[in-house]
Amino acid sequence: MNGLSPGVRRKTFFRGRRWPYHIGLTITALIIAFPLLYAMLVATQTNAETYSFQFTPGSAFWSNLNAVWVKRDFAGAMMNSLQQAVLVTTGKTILSLLAGLAFVYFKFRGKWIVFGLVLITLMMPTEVMILAMFRLVGGFGWQDTMAALVVPFLASATGAFLFRQHFANMPTELLEASQIDGASPVQFLRKVLIPLSWNVIAALFVIQFVYTWNMFLWPSLIIRDESKQVVQAALQTLTNIDGSLNFGPLMLAAVLASLPPGLVFILMQKPFMSGFAIGQDK
Amino acid sequence: MLILGLIVAAFLGPIFVWWKSEKPSLPRYGIASAAAVFGAAVTPIGMGQCAFAEETSGVDHLLAWALMAGGAWLALIVTQSVFDRRDGKRTGGGGVAGEIRTGGYRMGWWVPWLLLSPTLIILAVFLYTPAIQTFTLSSKLTRLGAPRSKDVCFGNFSELLITDPVRLVAYPLLAIGFIYAARLWVKRSTPDTWSRRGADVTSVVAMLSAFVAFYAMFSAGGAGQVAYRPVYLNTVIISVGIVVFGMVGGLGIAYLAFRQIKGGGVYRTLLIWPYAISPAVAGLLFFMIFDPTAGIFTYTMENWFGIDVPNYRESAILAQMAIILASSWKIIGYNILFYLAGLQTVSVDQVEASLIDGASARQRFTKIVLPALSPITFFLLVTNLTYAFFEVYGTIDFMTKGAPAGKTSVAIYEIIRVGVNNGDLGRGAAQSVLLFLAVIGVTLWQFRTSGERVSYGGS
Amino acid sequence: MKYRLMVLAAAIALVAAACGGGADATTTTVADAGGGDTTATDAPSGDPIEIDFWVAFSDEKRLGFAQDRAAEFNAAHPEYNVKVTSFASYNDVFDAAVLAVDSGQPPALIHFFEAATRQALDAVDSSGNKIFKSVTEAIGGRTEILGEPVVLDNVVSAARDYYTVDGSFYSMPWNTSSTVLLSNMDILNAAGVTKPPETWGEVTAACEKVMAMTDGPSGCISWPNHSWFAEQSLGQQGELLANNDNGRSGRATEVFLNSKGMIDYVTWWKDLADKGYYTYTGQQRDWGGVDSAYLAGELAMMIDSSSDTVIHTDEATDLGFELKASFMPRNENVPYVGNLIGGATIWMLDGMDTKKEDGALAFMNFFSNPKNAAAWHQLTGYVPITEDAVALLNAEGWYDEAPNAKVASDQLAAAANTPASLGALIGNFVGIRDILTLAIEDILVNDVDVATRLGQANEEANKSLSEYEALFGN
Repeated sequence: MNGLSPGVRRKTFFRGRRWPYHIGLTITALIIAFPLLYAMLVATQTNAETYSFQFTPGSAFWSNLNAVWVKRDFAGAMMNSLQQAVLVTTGKTILSLLAGLAFVYFKFRGKWIVFGLVLITLMMPTEVMILAMFRLVGGFGWQDTMAALVVPFLASATGAFLFRQHFANMPTELLEASQIDGASPVQFLRKVLIPLSWNVIAALFVIQFVYTWNMFLWPSLIIRDESKQVVQAALQTLTNIDGSLNFGPLMLAAVLASLPPGLVFILMQKPFMSGFAIGQDK
Repeated sequence: MLILGLIVAAFLGPIFVWWKSEKPSLPRYGIASAAAVFGAAVTPIGMGQCAFAEETSGVDHLLAWALMAGGAWLALIVTQSVFDRRDGKRTGGGGVAGEIRTGGYRMGWWVPWLLLSPTLIILAVFLYTPAIQTFTLSSKLTRLGAPRSKDVCFGNFSELLITDPVRLVAYPLLAIGFIYAARLWVKRSTPDTWSRRGADVTSVVAMLSAFVAFYAMFSAGGAGQVAYRPVYLNTVIISVGIVVFGMVGGLGIAYLAFRQIKGGGVYRTLLIWPYAISPAVAGLLFFMIFDPTAGIFTYTMENWFGIDVPNYRESAILAQMAIILASSWKIIGYNILFYLAGLQTVSVDQVEASLIDGASARQRFTKIVLPALSPITFFLLVTNLTYAFFEVYGTIDFMTKGAPAGKTSVAIYEIIRVGVNNGDLGRGAAQSVLLFLAVIGVTLWQFRTSGERVSYGGS
Repeated sequence: MKYRLMVLAAAIALVAAACGGGADATTTTVADAGGGDTTATDAPSGDPIEIDFWVAFSDEKRLGFAQDRAAEFNAAHPEYNVKVTSFASYNDVFDAAVLAVDSGQPPALIHFFEAATRQALDAVDSSGNKIFKSVTEAIGGRTEILGEPVVLDNVVSAARDYYTVDGSFYSMPWNTSSTVLLSNMDILNAAGVTKPPETWGEVTAACEKVMAMTDGPSGCISWPNHSWFAEQSLGQQGELLANNDNGRSGRATEVFLNSKGMIDYVTWWKDLADKGYYTYTGQQRDWGGVDSAYLAGELAMMIDSSSDTVIHTDEATDLGFELKASFMPRNENVPYVGNLIGGATIWMLDGMDTKKEDGALAFMNFFSNPKNAAAWHQLTGYVPITEDAVALLNAEGWYDEAPNAKVASDQLAAAANTPASLGALIGNFVGIRDILTLAIEDILVNDVDVATRLGQANEEANKSLSEYEALFGN
């Protein structure tokens, strides 16, 4: 909790013993963790061991890993997902920064109309137009390409707003000082604004990384070539290994697929929270 | 018919301006009238007036009227906001566009456009274009790779609805009337009386009646109609289930976890990590747990408690519960995260005061904590609802694939089943438009309500 | 601060890598698009001609087989490079191919399934030309292409009859199977059933005994809720699924999902389910789920595609029970007409130049030459697709060694050659199948009347078919 409101010492307003909370929280944490722990257990087992409800680690971890990672090239799918997630996240951040800069530090005709048009896209989730998008992107000849997974998601209304709000709350003197130095807008962005925006950038990074990595519907439509597939959709073909449903490799893949977003989220928790606090603040 | 509609629109325009505008004037009446006619005309003419052709049914006419009214209304809103800007009044769109700073750059007019161009181009190509194409597709009978397509006008929509135009109009009007009546009652009654409590209950019931009205408007199938009613019902059950389960659970756990005890950070991490798990993986994990032969759940129930659990995929209720459980497990981390942040803003002074007053823990929670959390709750309500509308696709695809007999096929799942798996693009697009309207409805409700009630002020 | 820098550095590195990759991709695209039909002739002699082969398998056995054969072909014909790409399903391959044709970079060969034969024949590009070319026509009576003997004339009759449309093969048969009953003889024997049941009545009787055992399995029999089983049953009973001789004497314009044969079959099925003999996994087309339950010893019998007979026989040996394959149980009240095939063929895209087309044709014939066809059968259980492959297997004594593997071929040989047992060619068959399986699921899971629900499905299916015909028909 300390990370949330640094510098403010809060008095706790709940009196009483502490240990019941420890017990309650431990139990809750275990319940929440149960599905993943169980999956980790099954991931080490053969189908026979799973069916006999053996509650100790099984004998098949390495063969399951081999079946998934090597034979089905899950490693390739992880690489594709990583590439997609990093490209989308980076691109989105850059585009959002530029848009925030334009909205806050420039005067131009039609600004409010443009802003309105960006605002309205919050009401337009990709999913409701997915059929038309499939035809459109397919028509570009982008099926089975990284472009189809990245380009449509580069612009972000959320990101543009986040930076707009963040920049708008910064002192005006920053710009004046920078103008006196004769810095161009891009230099101003790079030298002044970005160093002051790391928390927001981190927050956006976490949200977008997790969002992109977890994308399922769109890749399963536009990517058909298995060697180009991303993790979430690749899981689908793993429901059939050697002609039947093999739980071990399947659960192993599910666990592996959760590691990168899990790590990003846990490692970047603090900047994420403080960045979000800024975003939420009016 | 079309002409009649346009004439009505021409009169409605000035009335709207007279009602809304502070400075009505003759030219403005004229502009509004023209705008309303334009707004009303653009869709029917775009669609080749097909809805008023001889062979169409009453429902098609009704949809065409609704579309004309919607178009006119939209055009008037835009016109009005232009008038307001002229008058120097800041309206929604302009107000949030950011302060125009005194120290802004004074460079070529093209510089901001250059900075914005990547964003705008991508939004135009990958959001606006497919959005428009979705509407175009929804009026066609067409398949991927088909050599030709056929215009069916509103056919893809009217087959989702009941065939009686009178009832189709009556149900929503009844619901709206009910809601307004309840609201009036709330306004007229004094707080903390039985009348107010009755009014509060009635207004909740009135809100629910809107759900019932939609249910009654969708077709139950038969006679060439598509049974969309079950899809609507599945979507409502599963979405509401996820939102309620996820948010109540999230608040409960956050309330337990935010106390400052040793290792708080560790606990927090252990509680919120499912946020990073994908809906597809969540589906897979619970698919494993609930598997009728290999899953731990069935095994435990049978061997430890002696309860014979049927295959969840064969029972509508169990399948829906399983989807709700898997989805809310995934979203609960997100909710905990925001509630934890929200709980930091609860005023310590207020709590101290209530402790001195001898308020019980329950009173403290309902009187102080819950109201303080209302902005977060509202924010989460909308994000959870969006999640339940769309992200649930991956979970369903791994757990039930819509089984049993379509009882877990929610709107987004049905769109893909119809539009992609069966290749029926037109019908899929029509269902997409319905979902689109639902999203717009939720968002507008969010904007309105957040303006009215939720205050971020000071916090 | 440090990790921020690291993240940033990693991001930049990845972007750079991706941009590099992107640039490469663009150049190849340009070369391909510019080359198009003429790439082959213009290409320097050292550059092999790419033959893209899109396969709807992703498991190591089947996909691996295709990749290995492609490698052998490439080694024998260095002027060609057959490239196998894997897809998750037949529909994925097809949709991708249609889009690829429109964007100007089509593959040479695609793997597509039997039920969508009509759909493939109807497929056109954006300017209205047929996407696929008839394989018979392309071979043009040759007996050898680039040194590879043509095996198309040698295809076994069941597959030949199914895939022959207007007197010619449009596509080259590959994986072909039929439905077989796989019995766990250990369980059946324990229940006092000495041989696998042959008819519906015998199945019910056997299940009664199995379920009466105290330490028996939790269910008796299962098979996936896939329309193919219902279609097989109609073939067995000699009933048509569609008009115009199952769409073989003219385009099918009407389907019969509520025929007597269909109602009888589904009624028997529901009866098994109601008694608790039939275990429904709860998902449509759930091949994997049925297999797992069967292999876990939760079922005495399953009806399965013969495509896995060999695999499952081996697995049963590993798990220590005797697995016996036999004909799919039939309706004892009507004369037996015949089971049909299932599986997929390889379609060749139109618009390639002669040299590339010959390479593709040579590969297809190499792919199913007697040695390869026999190996494919031995690997999986799909029927050996040519007569010569059957002869080779007989000569090797394979069938004495693996009697289960022969059942599907015998069942297909026993079928009379009538439109009913040939199977149907119907437009939008995939969608119609979906309507049928959904109806069957409704019947199995909910307590709805069989005839009423099938009647409703029939209405829906005919609407869907007439819409398809309005878009694709003549």
